[in-house]
Amino acid sequence: MRKEALNPVQRFHLEEREIRFRNASFLLRMLLLAFFVFTPFLFRSFEVLDVVLKIIIFSALVASYDVILGYTGIVSLGHVLYFGIGSYLVGIFMGRLGWTTYGHLALAFLVAIVISGVLSVLIGLFSLRIRAIFFAMVTLAFMEFTFILSSQLRSITGGEDGISFKLPGILAIDFSYGKFLGVEFTGRLISYYLILILSLILFLLMLRFVHSPVGRVLQSIRDNEQRSIALGYRTYLFQVIASSFASCVAAVAGGCFAIWVRYVSPDSSLSVPIMLDVLLMVIVGGMGTLYGGIFGAAFLTITRAFLPKLQVLIASLLPGVPFAIRLSERWLFYFGLLFIIIVYFFPKGIVGTAQEILSRRKVE
Amino acid sequence: MNSAERKWLPKLIVLAIFLSPILFIHPKTYITLTISGLAMGMLLFLVSSGFSLIFGFLSVLNLAHGALFTWGAYIGFTSFTLINKWTGWGGPDSIFSNIVIFLLALIIAGLLVSLLGIITERLVIRPVYGSHLFQIFITVGAMIVMEELVRIVWGPNDEVMPVPMNFMGSWDLFDVVVSKYPLIAIVIGLIIYFTIYMILRKTKLGTIVRAGVENPEMVQVMGHNIYRYFTGVFAAGSALAAIGGGMWATFVKSIHPAMGGEVIVFALIVAIIGGLGSMTGSVVGALMVGLSYNYVAYLVPKAALGITMLLLVVILSIRPTGLFPEGT
Repeated sequence: MRKEALNPVQRFHLEEREIRFRNASFLLRMLLLAFFVFTPFLFRSFEVLDVVLKIIIFSALVASYDVILGYTGIVSLGHVLYFGIGSYLVGIFMGRLGWTTYGHLALAFLVAIVISGVLSVLIGLFSLRIRAIFFAMVTLAFMEFTFILSSQLRSITGGEDGISFKLPGILAIDFSYGKFLGVEFTGRLISYYLILILSLILFLLMLRFVHSPVGRVLQSIRDNEQRSIALGYRTYLFQVIASSFASCVAAVAGGCFAIWVRYVSPDSSLSVPIMLDVLLMVIVGGMGTLYGGIFGAAFLTITRAFLPKLQVLIASLLPGVPFAIRLSERWLFYFGLLFIIIVYFFPKGIVGTAQEILSRRKVE
Repeated sequence: MNSAERKWLPKLIVLAIFLSPILFIHPKTYITLTISGLAMGMLLFLVSSGFSLIFGFLSVLNLAHGALFTWGAYIGFTSFTLINKWTGWGGPDSIFSNIVIFLLALIIAGLLVSLLGIITERLVIRPVYGSHLFQIFITVGAMIVMEELVRIVWGPNDEVMPVPMNFMGSWDLFDVVVSKYPLIAIVIGLIIYFTIYMILRKTKLGTIVRAGVENPEMVQVMGHNIYRYFTGVFAAGSALAAIGGGMWATFVKSIHPAMGGEVIVFALIVAIIGGLGSMTGSVVGALMVGLSYNYVAYLVPKAALGITMLLLVVILSIRPTGLFPEGT
């Protein structure tokens, strides 16, 4: 077909498809993936592996949050609720009920997805109906409610102590497959690759979702809701779809997190501080980019891993100044300041700003 | 059904629901529970009214409200301790000096926190008027910063909130145990409610602010600097949060840096139930939440939070915009 005969959207798609595997960003993505795949061979320390894996999981979580925030334009303050549901179901199935088989692990994920989907549809149906702003408040209320519930229902969730559990077969810690390229393939490493594959699938799913026709409608709602209504879309149903999709993704990410740390507790997977982390990651990385999540997660996780060392340094440099030590202990304070500064000066985050600079150069 | 019946029926149903626990609870306990429920409701009203005021008039979703609440509690704590050290008014001698020192601590907390509110509004919130998304981010950032500042200034640990000696204990009215502080809280809460209501409905200031919500350009054309009024509303909301913080801390007798985050969720629920921007709605919503929480906490302790969420869900499905319209 001749290029002139196409409508603008089709032409855009054609151009996009032509350079799909040739442009620099594709190369960058492949490099990133290769880095994640070879991390266990490059770094032999468990600490680094732990940091990298948390980056992977949080990238998926932040990207799913970005589907709601950056692509649909509605603010949820309770997204971590679904992350917690995923973690807790794996924890309850493996630890509380003691069903340590592969089938039950898969079942836990499935149940988590179903519960998250249903719950988010219900919350969306009765809070998105009026004003998108209600959604923020109602989701926050629900998350706080679930948090308190999870620390009170000791018989099911183990209360504030949480649940630690064992995983089946090749995922168990004491499992060892033998050495490969000088690296011992333990259950930890196999869980690492399992989580990497799951996160990759989630990421591809989300990319597919935001570039699908539904995703385009969502972006149109974000940019101009009145116009989307005028075009005949029931915007509020689309918002519900987006939020439930993102919630299911978050639930799977939560399950992955539980597989990695083999422990779940209200503080580690369901609390407001995690929600604040996710918000900060999305802001740092850039809203409406999906890939921004990776940068945001990397920034925050790495900073957090090295902060204790920085504190020791400050304490040794300034001994006997309790106020300075107190200031250095409160790293969240600086994150808060950073948060405000980024929202002011770089509202598009790292990836968004980079994209803007690149596209400006292209025009010139 | 005629219109008068239609008007009163829902109110009667609500009243009946709140009277129904008397079937399961001994009447004396019921009265005790009702009073503590009303007190909790009044304290919640103080927190949520500031939040609701700011949302209703400025259309700003102020998530930093909880941090302002914490600041109020801590400043109240410090000023109470200091004044008590100088004068000893918090001692058991007379209830009159107790009331004076308590009010003094609340007023200091209110003034200082409204100053903090003005700074926050000027520096952080003013550039993002009109964009809900950025308001949420900015106020979340402000919340983190303010809460961490509390930890830097006062330290991260829990503190015991001093209570005036004569506020502790209870009266025994016809065999019904009535704690003293809840009654005081109810009275202060009612006074504050009527003051705000009168200012908003009966003064020129209130008219201008309410008009500013409806049509900011027109109010500016009339020669009023609308942003100055907005700052004022924000300061008033902050002061309400601080007073609520001080009174809440006296109620639970302890303070810690994360207390604001726990209460703000209740304030959100109350504000949504009552209707954002409505003072009467805040009172009614807060009393409903406070009462139902106390009854259920007595009957089925584990379901106490659940009833609050249930209330939210039921009311949002019947009246999606809350019980009362904006500006009432």
